[in-house]
Amino acid sequence: MNDQQGHNKNGPGLSRRQFLKGSGVAAAATALGQAPLPSAAAEQASAKGKVPQFGPGKVKIELTVNGKKMTTDIEPRVTLLDALRNHLDVTGCKRVCDRGSCGACTVLLDGAPVYACSLLALEARGKDIQTAESLVDGDQLDAIPKAFVQYDAQQCGFCTPGFAVALRAALNQNPNASPGELEAGLAGNICRCGTYEQMRHAIEALCRQGKGG
Amino acid sequence: MQSKTRKPLVAWPKQRRLIGKDVQRVDGPEKSTGTAKYSFDINRPGMLHAQILRCPYAHAKIKKIDTSAAEKIPGFAALHMIASEGAELDYAGAEVLAIAADTEEHVQDALRAVRVEYEVLPFLVKEEDALKNPSLKTVSGRDPSNVSKPTLADEGDVDAAYKEADAVVEGEYGVATVCHHCLEPHGLVAEWPKEGSVKLRVWCSVQATRNVAAGLAKEFDLGPTEVECLTDYMGGGYGSKFGPDVQGIACSHLAKKTGRPVKLMLTREAEITTAGNRPSAYGRVKMAGKKDGTITAYEVDCYGTPGATGRATVNFAMLPYVYKDAIPNYRLKHTVILTNCGAARAMRAPGHPQNCLLTDTCLDDLAAKLGLDPMEVRLKNLPKNVPSAVRDYPLSWNAVRETIYRDEIAIAAKLAKWKEKWHPPGEGGKGPIKYGIGMALHTWGGGAAGGDPPLNECTVIISRDGSVTAQSSTQDLGTGQRTVTAMVVAEILGLEPHEVFADIGNSSYGQSTGSGGSTTCPSQAPSALRAAIGARDQLFAKIAKKLGAKPENLAIEPGKVVDTATGKSVPWKKACAMLGMDEVRVKLGWSSVYANEVDDEGKLVTPGVSNLQVGGVQIAEVRVDTETGQVFCDHIVAVQDVGMVVNKLLCESQVAGGVIMAVNYALLEDRIMDRHTGRQVNPDMEFYKLAGIQDIPRITVHMHDMPERGVIGIGEPPTISTAAAISNAIFNAIGVRVSHAPFTPDKVLAALAQKGGKA
Repeated sequence: MNDQQGHNKNGPGLSRRQFLKGSGVAAAATALGQAPLPSAAAEQASAKGKVPQFGPGKVKIELTVNGKKMTTDIEPRVTLLDALRNHLDVTGCKRVCDRGSCGACTVLLDGAPVYACSLLALEARGKDIQTAESLVDGDQLDAIPKAFVQYDAQQCGFCTPGFAVALRAALNQNPNASPGELEAGLAGNICRCGTYEQMRHAIEALCRQGKGG
Repeated sequence: MQSKTRKPLVAWPKQRRLIGKDVQRVDGPEKSTGTAKYSFDINRPGMLHAQILRCPYAHAKIKKIDTSAAEKIPGFAALHMIASEGAELDYAGAEVLAIAADTEEHVQDALRAVRVEYEVLPFLVKEEDALKNPSLKTVSGRDPSNVSKPTLADEGDVDAAYKEADAVVEGEYGVATVCHHCLEPHGLVAEWPKEGSVKLRVWCSVQATRNVAAGLAKEFDLGPTEVECLTDYMGGGYGSKFGPDVQGIACSHLAKKTGRPVKLMLTREAEITTAGNRPSAYGRVKMAGKKDGTITAYEVDCYGTPGATGRATVNFAMLPYVYKDAIPNYRLKHTVILTNCGAARAMRAPGHPQNCLLTDTCLDDLAAKLGLDPMEVRLKNLPKNVPSAVRDYPLSWNAVRETIYRDEIAIAAKLAKWKEKWHPPGEGGKGPIKYGIGMALHTWGGGAAGGDPPLNECTVIISRDGSVTAQSSTQDLGTGQRTVTAMVVAEILGLEPHEVFADIGNSSYGQSTGSGGSTTCPSQAPSALRAAIGARDQLFAKIAKKLGAKPENLAIEPGKVVDTATGKSVPWKKACAMLGMDEVRVKLGWSSVYANEVDDEGKLVTPGVSNLQVGGVQIAEVRVDTETGQVFCDHIVAVQDVGMVVNKLLCESQVAGGVIMAVNYALLEDRIMDRHTGRQVNPDMEFYKLAGIQDIPRITVHMHDMPERGVIGIGEPPTISTAAAISNAIFNAIGVRVSHAPFTPDKVLAALAQKGGKA
């Protein structure tokens, strides 16, 4: 808690998350070195052979969330999770541990599951971001939330979207996965109410259905 | 001669279409697709973010606070002082001030810019350190020292019982402090609307909407209807979310000051260190018994810490727990030890897991010394059914408790194959990995809340388009109360659960009590039942004429209203259309006062609607690796009575969830305090261990349904006896007791070392 104290700013109390946020500019620059950015300013900088820099003030970024292009102005230190939740009102990804250990913020980035709390929003530009909200289309539920409802693999439900996304990723990767393999795909997610037993029932049903649910 | 009797207020329908069956959660699709909006997810136009600056020291006095630099940070909006200069703060995490700014990042910048000078004071964060220095006082309260005067109780003659006993055992047992770890942290969005009768509206993650509204009304000197608390969804409470708390008051002040909505949700670290915990309990326990397994004496000298302020860390009045009425002689001593740590709060069956671990474990050690199967010892020492209760109140706990435990032990033993699998302690196999099986029992209240008029209500509204709304200020913690309310109303009105809009979690919707003590379902399900029946009858009265029928001849069948005199029926929607411009609206409630009301002969007027007190039996199977000390829990059998099962699917979820929470505190969870810095070492989700799906045993849940008893709460009981059953299974596997939960490899190896490292 005292990493909010000035004297401790760079001391041992510095959390991983604050390090990540504090080094946002550097991380953004690193990302720039790897992939071209849509921002005009950045392109100009690249053209001049300089390392482009962002921030520390707000920059305009565009993200593709569940197939929709969304833009917002954020500081480069903002994580993908906070950009989605605080700036784009996409709240299916939840903030729990905020440091990559609980999985409640799991989203798909170009189809791969990532912790949105552990990635800067800048790094998600130009990529296809899918959140739990993509698992429903009108009244049409994806097979995973459908199984979660049928077998009651949810209680308070705060961790559930993260589990649903992680399970979707595991099934996409291997549509014929065994229950054990799917459980391994959920190893990065934590539930506090204790829905694991019911989740196993849902997983078994999904495996019976086969073909990626 | 017949005496004058009063009429029963209500009864559950005899033919049940939905109640007692597997009914899916009505809000399940929203939860699993992330479209359900929790308090944390509320984003209001122009909303500011806020956070709290906390004391980094375990015990300190604030000398000086300088916020001038913080106020110059870009985006800074407002500041609310929580502690003032000169204040004494009792633990690392205590609140100093709160700041609101335009973005979360700017809030962090501003908090970092605050300069606080502290005078650091002596502190104690470990129970054993306080016990070594019993006269030291390191907390600000009125207590003369950290170690309080013990609470004592003495029944019968324990010393005489020891002398006459065939066996006496003595050992150490206990459990560490664990944190609630709600995944949605405590917190809220507060807004002072510019128009309307509601002056302050909060979206608060809480298990008592009315309590939050009342607390904030008091703080701001507002009328009871001028504050509205909305809790549509909430991400876990487990007993820790009953009031506005410091952050609720600070956030509301910041919103008032700025004239803008403000969101303040605790950080994960603050959630773990400041928002409640289940207090520790460690004890030296002695038990005496006869050859036939009769327990003749129980003695415990235990202590625990509720943090810097607080109360007993066991349920003292209920020791020696399940066996209290069976053991004639007992002597109890409990010492509360104040430490410079966050305060304990109620956590899922407060006091009971501690009680269970301080009794049901020693029982197995006694059984071992007597050379008996501990299941037989349990059967020998069950609390007897009370004859007067059997005669006068045949559905009451005292009338059926022994019967319930006997039945449940038999069911659990069969499901776990106890007779085949149990072996004398320490005979868990030849190799390094030993198998063991253990059992434990528990009990819990779970009756309806009180009040006359009742403190729990439900309003059922039938509109002329056939839509039905059930309103209540109660909240759904994840227990499924929204679904329970919808399905009870649907049962009575011949609808499907999703056809009833259960509009709950709004403090302005009449009376409700906080969701604690497993009281919500037994309070709210009968409220919904009464309101639904009242609404049905009001509908009949209003449309009978148009149907050419007598109201008393009308009845509901699935999807239609039937005239039983003619056999003619009209579909539900068509019947409701006959309301014209009218509507049906009935608000009714339920209370323990109604459940306990007796007639002139002393018989219950309205039996079997809600009831009180359940049992429960659990069996654990483990493997213990004697080379690494690792315990693998493979299987838990949980047999649980709950009176009338309302929704089997959700009931089983609650039981499995309770078991999983208990596997966590049995094997993993430990709030580790550092005696040198006075801070928690693991206020996170990496080093504070919580099980993932691969860490959890197979769980067999059996609901021991007793519909004749009426509704009883289920949230708490199933999390009580699991850890004691696991402790007993480990003992059964390796023949030596591992004293304190969590039963981690280091403790298992240390216990094995006591007997030469051999199991």
